[in-house]
Amino acid sequence: MEVTQNLSLIHLILQASIPVKFVLGILLAASSMSWWHIFLKLFALKRAKGETDSFEKEFWGGADLNVIFQRVSQDREGAGELERIFEAGFREFLKLRRQAGASVNVIMDGTRRAMRAAYQREMDGLESHLAFLATVGSVSPYVGLFGTVWGIMLAFQSLASVAQATLAQVAPGIAEALIATAMGLFAAIPAVVAYNRYTHDIDRLSNRMESFMEEFSNILQRQATRPA
Amino acid sequence: MNLALPREDVTAGLLAAAVHGFFILLLVFGLSWQIHDPQPIMAELWHSLPELPRPSPPPPPPPTPLPKPLPEPVPKAQPVPDTKAADIALEKKKKEELRKKKEAQTLEEKKRKEELRRKEEARRMELELEHEAARLEALKREEKRLAEQKRREALLREEEELQQRMLEESLAAETARIKAKAAADQRASEIAKIVAQYKDMISAKVRGNTRLPDSLSGNPEVEFEVSVLPTGEITKIRLSKSSGNADYDQAVQRGIEKSSPLPVPSDRTAAAEFRNLILKHKARE
Repeated sequence: MEVTQNLSLIHLILQASIPVKFVLGILLAASSMSWWHIFLKLFALKRAKGETDSFEKEFWGGADLNVIFQRVSQDREGAGELERIFEAGFREFLKLRRQAGASVNVIMDGTRRAMRAAYQREMDGLESHLAFLATVGSVSPYVGLFGTVWGIMLAFQSLASVAQATLAQVAPGIAEALIATAMGLFAAIPAVVAYNRYTHDIDRLSNRMESFMEEFSNILQRQATRPA
Repeated sequence: MNLALPREDVTAGLLAAAVHGFFILLLVFGLSWQIHDPQPIMAELWHSLPELPRPSPPPPPPPTPLPKPLPEPVPKAQPVPDTKAADIALEKKKKEELRKKKEAQTLEEKKRKEELRRKEEARRMELELEHEAARLEALKREEKRLAEQKRREALLREEEELQQRMLEESLAAETARIKAKAAADQRASEIAKIVAQYKDMISAKVRGNTRLPDSLSGNPEVEFEVSVLPTGEITKIRLSKSSGNADYDQAVQRGIEKSSPLPVPSDRTAAAEFRNLILKHKARE
């Protein structure tokens, strides 16, 4: 080994041992995937928040429930989470009300169940892939550390076979191995930050949805007690 | 339902790729900034090329030596033929022939004798050689025997030496042990002396700090177990044998407590004796 090593990144990665390369590959894949999900989730949450805001404005603005229901049921895919919950609840309410002899309690129970089911589905959609972010955030430092430890092990092993040990003999190996840790941290930190941020955002959204469900149930109950 | 639009998908992918590109750029440049440029190379500039020494002309070929003319042979003088009386010559010739014959005969005789002599000589030589070989063989055998004897002697001597050394060594070890034992004994006795001295000091100090109760009768003896730190500080006092007089026991315990720190020897081995001290105290000596 020469003393004046070329320590450029590409050189280091190219001369890395197979396990280290493998670890780097895994981490690069995990990092790409997690960043992709981070951006996807960012857009999705932004959209969900905007749609929830506009729907609440419309709903509390005194619009006719039947009009809103008509609009939402025509374009279910384009509607927001809260609109879909509203649609499911109102549809169930109308169906039950049309049935003769259904008491108010039965109507309200059915409506609430329908809204609850829709709410669960929406939450499931919002929370999808968050577990992946959490996994990347907690595991990739370890994977990177594994690559580093492996690389350092090899570096010191090669040191054992020479009579005169110099730092220049291990330094490239250690530098190369430390890239794995850097990569692991690079994958983990954004994933953890995004996970925490998105969990918080989703919690707030879910709170808004639940309170809306309660309030909407009250409105419907008032309608049900009123003779049609 | 969380349905990402296809455009959003692509955007997210592009953004992720951009983030990675940025990271890799950072790594590449961040690392390459740390690398120093190669050391400058020294180069000397010459205004003009120095005058090189001209190659010397090849040495002239050695002159070919001219063949010397051979000296002319000098003609020899021809012997002049004798033209004197022929009979004399004839007689001479006859005589000469006779002489030659005789000569030949003697020569032959000589030759035979010579041959005989040579044969004899050869036989003698052979015999001598045989003798010599036998002598050599004997010599060799003798030499071998001597070497063997020498070797055996050396071995014997070595063994003797070894025994001697072992004996000496064991003797030395024995004396060392005895000496060590003596030293240990001496040390033990010294330590015992120190211990006794300090015990006296401790009991004197305790006695000085103890105020005997008024209701004391006789000369009761009380025994305490005292745990002492290496600095002399008392950590625990336990009554191990009461005197029967509770007031007296308490008075002595207070005296011991007051005596902390107790005088403790600085010698480590001696101090070890004081870690758990059994203190007997009599009202009067």
